[in-house]
Amino acid sequence: MKSLRRDFSSDPHAANVTSKVFVRSTKSGKVQKIVRELYLRQDIPCSSKLCSICPSIAPADASGNIAPFVLSESPAGTKAFPRGHYLVPDTNALLNGMDLFEHTGAFYDVVILQTVLEELKNQSLPLYNRLLSLIKTDEKRFYLFFNEFRLETHVRRGQDESINDRNDRAVRTVAKWYSEHLRAAAAKKGKKEKSLPAIVVITDDKENLRKAKDEGVTALSLSDYVAGLDDSDRLLDMINESREAREAKGARGELFYPEYYTMSKIMTNLRAGTLHQGVFNVSPYNYLEGSVKVAAFDKPLLILGRDNSNRAISGDVVVIEVLPKDQWKTPSTKIVDEEAVTKNDNPEGEDTEAVVTEREKKALQEEVRQAHGKSTEGKPQPTARVVGVVKRNWRQYVGTVDSGSTGSQAVSGRRQQTVFVLPMDKRVPKIRVRTRQAGDLLGQRILVTIDAWDRDSRYPSGHFVRSLGELETKGAETEALLLEYDVQYKPFPKSVLDCLPAEGHDWRVPASKDDLGWRGRRDLRDLLICSIDPPGCQDIDDALHARQLPNGNFEVGVHIADVSHFVKPNNAMDLEASLRGTTVYLVDKRIDMLPHLLGTDLCSLKPYVERYAFSVLWEMTPDAEVVSSDFTKSVIQSREAFSYEQAQKRIDDPSQTDDLTQSMRTLLRFSKILRQKRMDAGALNLASPEVRIEADNDEVGDPLTDVKTKSMLATNSLVEEFMLHANITVATKIFNTFSQTALLRRHATPPPQNFEELTNQLSKKRDMRLDVSSSGALADSLDRCTDAKNPFFNTLVRILATRCMTSAEYFCAGAHAEPEFRHYGLASPIYTHFTSPIRRYADLLVHRQLASAIGYEGEDGRATVQGVMTRNRLEDICRNINYRHRNAQFAGRASIEYYVGQALKARGEKVSANGVDGGIDEEGYVMRVFENGVVVFVPRFGIEGVVRLEDFVLPTDAGLRSVEERRELIVHRQSDFDNEEYTICVSDKGHPQKERSLTVELFQKVKVNVSSVKEQGGRGAGKRRVRILVLGGQ
Amino acid sequence: MSAQRQASSASQTPHLSPAELSYLYTSLSLPNAPIRPDGRSATQFRPLAAETDVLPGANGSARVGFADGTQAIVGVKAEVEKTVLGSETTAAAAAPAGDNDGGEGQAPGHGHGHGSWVQMSIEIPGFRDDDALPVFLAEMMREPLVESVSDGSGKGSDGGLKERLVINRRWHWRLYIDVLLLSQPLSYPLPLLSLTTHLALLSTKLPKLKSQGEEDPFFDDDWNAAEYLYPRSATPLPKQQQVRPPVTLLVIAVGENVIFDPNREEIAVADTVLAVSVTRNDGADGLKLLSIRTVDPPSRLTQPGVPNAENAATGGAAAGGGATESGDVPGVWRPRRGGVKRSTIARMAKLVLQRGGVGEEVLEGLEGVQVG
Repeated sequence: MKSLRRDFSSDPHAANVTSKVFVRSTKSGKVQKIVRELYLRQDIPCSSKLCSICPSIAPADASGNIAPFVLSESPAGTKAFPRGHYLVPDTNALLNGMDLFEHTGAFYDVVILQTVLEELKNQSLPLYNRLLSLIKTDEKRFYLFFNEFRLETHVRRGQDESINDRNDRAVRTVAKWYSEHLRAAAAKKGKKEKSLPAIVVITDDKENLRKAKDEGVTALSLSDYVAGLDDSDRLLDMINESREAREAKGARGELFYPEYYTMSKIMTNLRAGTLHQGVFNVSPYNYLEGSVKVAAFDKPLLILGRDNSNRAISGDVVVIEVLPKDQWKTPSTKIVDEEAVTKNDNPEGEDTEAVVTEREKKALQEEVRQAHGKSTEGKPQPTARVVGVVKRNWRQYVGTVDSGSTGSQAVSGRRQQTVFVLPMDKRVPKIRVRTRQAGDLLGQRILVTIDAWDRDSRYPSGHFVRSLGELETKGAETEALLLEYDVQYKPFPKSVLDCLPAEGHDWRVPASKDDLGWRGRRDLRDLLICSIDPPGCQDIDDALHARQLPNGNFEVGVHIADVSHFVKPNNAMDLEASLRGTTVYLVDKRIDMLPHLLGTDLCSLKPYVERYAFSVLWEMTPDAEVVSSDFTKSVIQSREAFSYEQAQKRIDDPSQTDDLTQSMRTLLRFSKILRQKRMDAGALNLASPEVRIEADNDEVGDPLTDVKTKSMLATNSLVEEFMLHANITVATKIFNTFSQTALLRRHATPPPQNFEELTNQLSKKRDMRLDVSSSGALADSLDRCTDAKNPFFNTLVRILATRCMTSAEYFCAGAHAEPEFRHYGLASPIYTHFTSPIRRYADLLVHRQLASAIGYEGEDGRATVQGVMTRNRLEDICRNINYRHRNAQFAGRASIEYYVGQALKARGEKVSANGVDGGIDEEGYVMRVFENGVVVFVPRFGIEGVVRLEDFVLPTDAGLRSVEERRELIVHRQSDFDNEEYTICVSDKGHPQKERSLTVELFQKVKVNVSSVKEQGGRGAGKRRVRILVLGGQ
Repeated sequence: MSAQRQASSASQTPHLSPAELSYLYTSLSLPNAPIRPDGRSATQFRPLAAETDVLPGANGSARVGFADGTQAIVGVKAEVEKTVLGSETTAAAAAPAGDNDGGEGQAPGHGHGHGSWVQMSIEIPGFRDDDALPVFLAEMMREPLVESVSDGSGKGSDGGLKERLVINRRWHWRLYIDVLLLSQPLSYPLPLLSLTTHLALLSTKLPKLKSQGEEDPFFDDDWNAAEYLYPRSATPLPKQQQVRPPVTLLVIAVGENVIFDPNREEIAVADTVLAVSVTRNDGADGLKLLSIRTVDPPSRLTQPGVPNAENAATGGAAAGGGATESGDVPGVWRPRRGGVKRSTIARMAKLVLQRGGVGEEVLEGLEGVQVG
């Protein structure tokens, strides 16, 4: 029998065509063989400015321009490469040293291969995105070379060649081609070969290094290369060491953690319902207790101990398995802080795993359901263990070097040593970092990343990225905050600033009404409009007016800055804003969503100047019943910008009878009616522990006077009511027009079991009932939760109730059924955000949708289509702005907390007597009781803090105030904790007498002493924290 | 009616005169040394050229062309499918996967595969897909393919294709074998299609399984890592022991002679036409007979008529006399009547199966085709 074999050698075109074959598994379980044909080309440029060949062959765009060449003609060199070099990293080099490649001190003129980029994408999406943005920036001169599409550099995979080997070969082939190509180009120019830059492959693969040597390609390992640079000590720290270390370690060392299940096993069992997937959350009070909310059960499952959490870090998406019933536990009533737990924190071994059959496992799921159903305090809760991690959500963490972990010779030597970095986020375990600069890093805020967490390592290992600066300096702490909460704080890039109007601050509303800008706009300049905002507000989003109509009704208008006029969809500024999502307010800093020019000038509805606005106008009866509503783009001129107080004064001043004041009085009257209507409908009056910082830093006074609790004036709620009303009106309008893609905001009704614990506590301690059947019922029952002797008690309950609720979220209308649109807190069936487009991206989108809904065409006639978006894209945006919104809130709160701490410290330094900070005595409220401490809320500063046993001041040790002295007390202390009654009785060991002990119960008002202290010695030394001492009950 | 009958018969009957047929028959039935119209020996096959992996998108494919211009292409596609559980397996499979399923990874039990997992469709120009010939051919090839199991012996179940398709108790592969005859069938296409299918199956690769035991299947996305459905000879196993897909050979008997790979004219005068399916089974020495089917030779399709003498209608009194009916007229071929001798069938089977016989020769020839 004759066997035919096709021979391509005679076909001249055969070399240009090749194919790529792989197996694709689809979501539905199909497995397909995919064949992609690949047509190789010869016109992909090398992009070196040295090259004289490529400019003539590079593909040109329609106007005949070729993409500018990236690689410099005189690249930087090192000692080993005095003529300069182009770097060609392989995938591992990027995986291990992305921070290095991003470093501004080195790593210029880098050729990134398409092969490497794709491989990186498969291995780590975050790194891939970072590399992409590196390629996009011009400064670093990274060139993405499509080697797979170029005939000379395409590499066909050999028989029995592994993919890795093939890709390594591709890298070497490119390096070889580049040097030959540049040589040829130089020869053409008649230049000397000597001056050509070297092509340096960077790879950590030993085999690749060896082969490169054989083939005459210059190749270096990442660390060898970095060692040749200036400042190598610092740079070397930025290499991900875990990979190498693992190889070196081999099988040595005990394995602390069980292995993860295989992916296929996980998938099978997830489908079968015996494993569950969810996000791993760590309790802020106990770093050893995590919980995972899974779709199958109403309540989160508990994950106790290191063994069970099995290398998961807060935020990871994990797969968990429910543990047998005998291992179910009650949630811990202890405060466990990683820093406090000394060395050996191995939780009780639960390795004796019973062999359970499938049937039993199934039954277990039932039990979970039952236990969840009738859970009461103290009953064992279902626990689970992590058996796999679907997605790591590791990011860069801000932390400090644990001084206890540095060696004694730390300061002197440049020797590499391993230190622990304690992340700022308490829920993240300490990170093992190898560094050569341990001495320098002590007392600094540093940024680290986690590289890996292996089974044989108790802690994750990571590497140093950069230092933010000295601890407790304003710059470092602010940056730390922003990094921790993932706030984009870099200045706006040029591409964004290019989108601003060319006139800059001189931009004016066009004088002629024939101007394009007036098209579709109503002239409302004659209306008596004013704005009311917090004092010193620069970005004025909204302004109001009211006037009587001839028919006796009133016209009320809310005018919102017309940001969508300036921010056109999909330009660089819009994309940047959608990424930032919201403006972030810190105590002493504002991170804008939009460039300064727009936010504080062109868009801002400043008084006395004409501005573009988007107006919502209602005709209302004198009883504030809406007769009709109207939306229009407009031009307004605000008559005055009031602060809340000024507005209040003006309204209250009977001598003022001008039209503007009258109109404000009308507004106030209407707002009260609207508010009452809302309350009648069951809106909640929630409370959050907020304080305001007035940073008008006079150095003399008590720094703490800057800290003020927020006061509510009638004018506050005036503005608030109309904004709510406008939002609701707009939400209805855009939903009617875009039933699938309207951007709305909802607040889901919290499941009743969320309130279980609070209800229980209230009925036990105060004999109060909380009716959670509806928001109205809850509002009523919250109103009844009062304590005549203790006016703050009601606020406290409100704060706690708020924490039981879910957070409000943006969503697109198609994502939920209409009854689910409800905003629980506001008791409104539909809601959106329309009134603050300067500081929230959602509002900007709603503006576009509304403009489109009312048929506004805009200057170019395209505004009608700009509001239209696909649902998918909108859902992506929603996800991002929800995330940014939450983070912005956290960052703001953390900033206040930090400021309060600093103010306490400043006060302490001023007032301290003989070196001991006496602190300040305040009122506090017990929010939670643990077995070994309580959480106390101090309303004056809006802070809450954990009070440990040693920080209970007993009559016997009232004199001891310093941290060290109190630390001594730990060993003597004992507590008597009553789980059912939420009380804790603290006493000295062996002295349980009543008069020598201190008993504290939930909701109790206590006298506390607040001060800012610095930890001395031991772990976490040098860290400042706000310490709360409980002085006694009241 | 007649067209249909033709379709189901061994091939379109060539338009040969009785005299030509007689001549053919005589030459082919010469004792011990048949003379074939194209000069081949009795066991010689027509020359053919083969090529595998002609369709990049398929899991396996082959093209075979006879020297006379007939060509066939076969493509094999595989798809993962969930096994519909029979009642007796439900209990076991209700508890899928578990900690201990690593140990359960033993080969899935005997008899779990199902014949319907292999779907074969044959397209022959000029025939509808529900015409008898393609349907009959497909079934004739599919049956030995899926059922080639040495049941009873227990361990040697690997030969059956359906057993190879089992991934675990809950999942299996489904194979679509698409056979395409590229030219008009000049002779009965069965041997050509069978050989091509055999080669296509030899070159068939399935993605490498990464999951184990009873887990949902999960595959390696590297096509180079994919594994052959019928493992190749890189192993030190002696050739004789490798399991191969079956081949179906067409054998005819003319008189005392047994002739392989008959062409159309030869079939026209055959006394018996058999489709013999053989395979090489693992462990067992030599070849294994999977099935023998008789194919109606065209000669059987013409009603020979009933001798007047025996005709009740004529009452044995018709004119003419029995001579023309019972006696052969020299030089005029008359189809044989009556069954096949048992010994003839035995001889045909033996020629195929015996060591060094035609079957081995064919399989060896096929093995020689480069795959991959």
